[in-house]
Amino acid sequence: MSNALAIKRISATPTPPPTIRSSPEYAKLVDIARCIGCKGCEVACKEWNELKVEPTVNFGSYQSHEDLSPDTWLLMRFRETEIDGNLNWLIKKDACLHCEEPGCLYACPAPGAIVQYENGIVDFNQENCIGCQYCVSGCPFDIPRFDKTTKRVYKCNMCIDRVEAGLEPACVKTCPTNAISWGTKDDMLALATGKVETLKERGFANAAVYDPTGVGGVHMMYVVPHGNRLAEYDLPEDPVASPGPIAALGTVKKIGSYLFGFGIVGALLHLLAVGPESPENESGVPGGN
Amino acid sequence: MRANEIQRFTYAERVVHWVVGVTFVFLLLTGLAFSYPKLFWLTSLVGGGAVARVLHPWVGIVFTVGLVFMVVLWIREMFLDRHDVEWLKAIRHYVAHQRDKVPPAGKYNAGQKLFFWVQSVSGVVFLVTGLLLWFPEGFLGLDPFGRGTLSAMRFLHYLATLGCGLFLIVHVYLGTVAYPGTARGMIDGKVTRGWAKLHHPQWHREKTGS
Repeated sequence: MSNALAIKRISATPTPPPTIRSSPEYAKLVDIARCIGCKGCEVACKEWNELKVEPTVNFGSYQSHEDLSPDTWLLMRFRETEIDGNLNWLIKKDACLHCEEPGCLYACPAPGAIVQYENGIVDFNQENCIGCQYCVSGCPFDIPRFDKTTKRVYKCNMCIDRVEAGLEPACVKTCPTNAISWGTKDDMLALATGKVETLKERGFANAAVYDPTGVGGVHMMYVVPHGNRLAEYDLPEDPVASPGPIAALGTVKKIGSYLFGFGIVGALLHLLAVGPESPENESGVPGGN
Repeated sequence: MRANEIQRFTYAERVVHWVVGVTFVFLLLTGLAFSYPKLFWLTSLVGGGAVARVLHPWVGIVFTVGLVFMVVLWIREMFLDRHDVEWLKAIRHYVAHQRDKVPPAGKYNAGQKLFFWVQSVSGVVFLVTGLLLWFPEGFLGLDPFGRGTLSAMRFLHYLATLGCGLFLIVHVYLGTVAYPGTARGMIDGKVTRGWAKLHHPQWHREKTGS
């Protein structure tokens, strides 16, 4: 097994993941301030991953498509908004954030359908997917998309096949303004901090790094110029990996497993204690009624 | 019918019972496989995880239809009365096979009636939560993708499974090895008079007038 594919977490598998080697965590950094909205990354994503082209329609936005789909793993979202009397274009590179605590993986009931590699990439193995879509409800960022024909779920895999070969993801490679960077998580955090400082010097007082702690940090971070307007960027303020109902389900399943076990064992012990009860026992005559 | 036998269940009742019973066991086993990674292997009994996922909701529809018929057939006989409360109070003696201390049961004892109600109420929970889980992108215009909605559905779906599953263990145990002669009532519909007198004395009196 190549080190790039060392598995850190694996869905619905009671045994520990196989990896004993460690490898550095990698991350993508999207500097929204540098994005010019060319959507070259969308095209690169389609080309590298050989995803179907989906016709675009004008729905009154600069955006290419209205939403992600099984064939569109990356969508540049554009929101026009007024800030201090000026028109502003809030751009979000909408794709999987590759959470350190992946809500999708925790929700998945199919062994091996979702894995997280040591390098931080969260990948769907469609051949193991059973199509229940629990990952969709488990994702705090609403990223995975269900394909009605194949009945499997798809999303950005961070070009794992490129990363494995030592290359950066296709969107990073193609970005003409270097708005997207690729490197170790530590390097990207350092880069992000510098970028935020620069933005603040330029007057973006609320500039911030988006690396939410509720999901343990992410492997696609953003430098957000207007960090006080996360909702307008369509970025959740406080995403969590396991929301209340999932945690409650985990607890009740644990209790349930014991109750089912006690039920079966209890029935057997009861049988051994008092034996079967039939009319024959009562009358003492076999077959007598 | 032999002289020492009593008709306990009609043909329709038996068919409905087994439609509900067989589909429920299928749903329970595949559902447990989805709930517990250690039990995922159960899906291989029906052709693998993806097949189980596709079959589970369809079998659920058959189960629901069966359950509707079951409710129509049995609901009038299943309301608990004061007699049943007394029976439940004496359940300790029932478990210990001390028949003389248990109030005589009618056609159904309070435990069976409770199983009926748990199964029926759970049927509604299964149907509503199940449909939302089956069509998570929105059923009847609902958009349950509010974060946590579907997880809450999974929680309720599981809770109903737990209730029904635990009752099922007791039901199958008592109906087979614990009380010989019981299962027959659901196969050819008949039970012996001795069986009726032992397990449902009140019903025995009504049927035989003795």
